[in-house]
Amino acid sequence: MNAVQTFKLTKEFDSLVAVNGIDLEIHKGELFSLLGPNGAGKTTTIRMLCCLLKPTRGTASILGYDVVRTPFAVKKLIGVSPQDTVLSERLNCWENLALIGKVHGLSSNEAKARSKELLETMGLMERAKDQVRRFSGGMKRRLSIAMALVSNPQVLFLDEPTLGLDPQARRTISEYIAGLKGKKTILLTTHYMEEADSLSDRIGIIDEGKVVALGTPQELKTNTFQMRTMVVSTGNLTAEVISDLQQRYSRLEMSKGRLKIYHKELNFQEIVDYLHSRGVAVYSAALEQPTLEDVFIQITGKKLRD
Amino acid sequence: MNFWEIGKRNLKEIYRNPVLLGFLLGMPIAFMLVFIAAAGGAQASPIALSIVDEDRSQNSSAFIQYLGHVDAIELNQPIYSEESQAQVDLQDGRISLYLLIPSGFQAAQHGNQTITLELIYKAADPMTGLQLKPVIEAVGSQFLGVPPPLNVELKGTESEIKNPAVNFYFPGIAVYGLMILISTAAGIIAGDRERGFLIRMFTTPAKPWDFILGYSLPFIPVLIVSTLIYLGVGMALGLTVVGNLGHAFLIFFLIGLCSVGIGMIVGSLVKSESQTGISWIFIVPMAMISGAWFTVDRMPSAIRSIAGALPFIHAIDASRAVLNGSPFSAIVLDIYWLVGWTVVLFATGIMLFRKTMVS
Ligand SMILES: Nc1ncnc2c1ncn2[C@@H]1O[C@H](COP(=O)(O)OP(=O)(O)OP(=O)(O)O)[C@@H](O)[C@H]1O
Ligand SMILES: [Mg+2]
Repeated sequence: MNAVQTFKLTKEFDSLVAVNGIDLEIHKGELFSLLGPNGAGKTTTIRMLCCLLKPTRGTASILGYDVVRTPFAVKKLIGVSPQDTVLSERLNCWENLALIGKVHGLSSNEAKARSKELLETMGLMERAKDQVRRFSGGMKRRLSIAMALVSNPQVLFLDEPTLGLDPQARRTISEYIAGLKGKKTILLTTHYMEEADSLSDRIGIIDEGKVVALGTPQELKTNTFQMRTMVVSTGNLTAEVISDLQQRYSRLEMSKGRLKIYHKELNFQEIVDYLHSRGVAVYSAALEQPTLEDVFIQITGKKLRD
Repeated sequence: MNFWEIGKRNLKEIYRNPVLLGFLLGMPIAFMLVFIAAAGGAQASPIALSIVDEDRSQNSSAFIQYLGHVDAIELNQPIYSEESQAQVDLQDGRISLYLLIPSGFQAAQHGNQTITLELIYKAADPMTGLQLKPVIEAVGSQFLGVPPPLNVELKGTESEIKNPAVNFYFPGIAVYGLMILISTAAGIIAGDRERGFLIRMFTTPAKPWDFILGYSLPFIPVLIVSTLIYLGVGMALGLTVVGNLGHAFLIFFLIGLCSVGIGMIVGSLVKSESQTGISWIFIVPMAMISGAWFTVDRMPSAIRSIAGALPFIHAIDASRAVLNGSPFSAIVLDIYWLVGWTVVLFATGIMLFRKTMVS
């Protein structure tokens, strides 16, 4: 049984198709990131999985429980950090956490112990007794994540958890999420590509409501680009060498002593050796690994979304 | 016990919000101040009443004497024995209204038949008659409840209603004040929905009734305190509680719960806090046809039956009756009606809420 399973999950808002027949399978203990441009349908998908929105078509289930037919069974299993931070503004941290924890069935003591742990992790202990309406945006965000975690849910939905956080807080939260890997099933959305790259077991990229790419970060990088690239800084390139290279490799770019070679497969050693053998000075050379951001832009295009 | 957790949260949100708390508790006080102005202060002068005694029996003169002991009434002398003379005096403005005791008064009383007393006033000046009517009703029912000849014990009740105007207006004002909770309760739910807090709570296992009860719970202390303020300030201003104060409290508490229940329904239906203004479309006409501000006796029967189906008029009538001395048995049907409405309103609220949990 998968932790999250959807079948042709679709949500239409009047004429707008926000989610268009998504099939997702997230395994137990997996950290799955849903990436996509603004308006791609990430939040809408999560809202359907959390029983907040009724799918127009298709089905979804969490650990085998259908989200439409058995919403309360689903709600017992999940923890949600919504994209917009929402807290009970006149309660303090303890009270906010206790509310969510107890509604999920924790006892007072369990809720307290769990809150303490999370407040320490999130660095909120000092301000824990202040009403949260006086908090900064980032502090609210951290409390909001803690609220998703307080009930120790089996399946976590984190919709842009690190949005608006400073680098320290982002790192702390990334590390905390990494620590949950294998123990919890996590569905994460983020616009920070490095974060998705380092955290995710698998990534689904969605655009205009459809899954357009799916795989491990590594698979996405290798499968997206047909060609490998290598950048070499050189001196004294001759026309002969250049035409030779042009014959051997698919594409060649040159600018101010920088040579960029594109080909399906590239052998670093072979290229460096060849250049040496032709008397070309090689100052530096590197095989270029595409980043997840390159993959993202390649797949979803450069156009801004409305 | 999820509703308890949600209720605790809402209670904290309310009592940590000085503006809202001030509104909830200040409103009863403000209302009573308006009420003083409306009732013209605690020391209203007695109303001059003329009497036409067509029965001219022992009982009718005993009744007249009895009326003469009521502080709120100042009997004009002499007592008319023919209505025609009273009509002329009323027409000419020598008197402002008169009470007609029909012939057959004594016979009807002995035969335990319905007795109709008429209070005739100038159409241009209805207020005095309206103020006097409940007094005559209360005094009349007390008088008629006792077999003739009158004994001395009755004189103990003579000064009970110190200020009939206050006793008449108070229940309507208090019930209208409690009706305003409709919009307050709806506003609290709608605000939490608009700010997303409720949506977040919808991802937890809390059930629809946890929310409805959780959002009503904080209103219980509010209701208790505001009912006490209404009664306390009312009594300080000359409200006479002849009947059981606990019964009056119960009625106000129940109508307050009904209002909160309606607020829950409105709060389930609207999308934003500003939309809760819709509740006023309901509150004002309902208060009007339920007799919160003036008597409904003269309204068309269709409107009266609408009002009679709703809970508010029952709360106003029953509390007025209790304040004027009616026993519990006289208001028990009104109480059933209020309890029934409370149950129906909350059940409806839960049903509607269930639907809005998934959009
Ligand atoms: N309640 C709604 N009514 C109408 N349209 C909606 C509603 N919610 C979302 N949409 C539309 O559905 C589409 C998908 O929105 P969604 O919030 O899922 O995007 P997203 O991938 O989470 O984007 P972002 O990265 O900006 O958070 C958008 O075009 C949005 O305008
Ligand atoms: Mg989103």
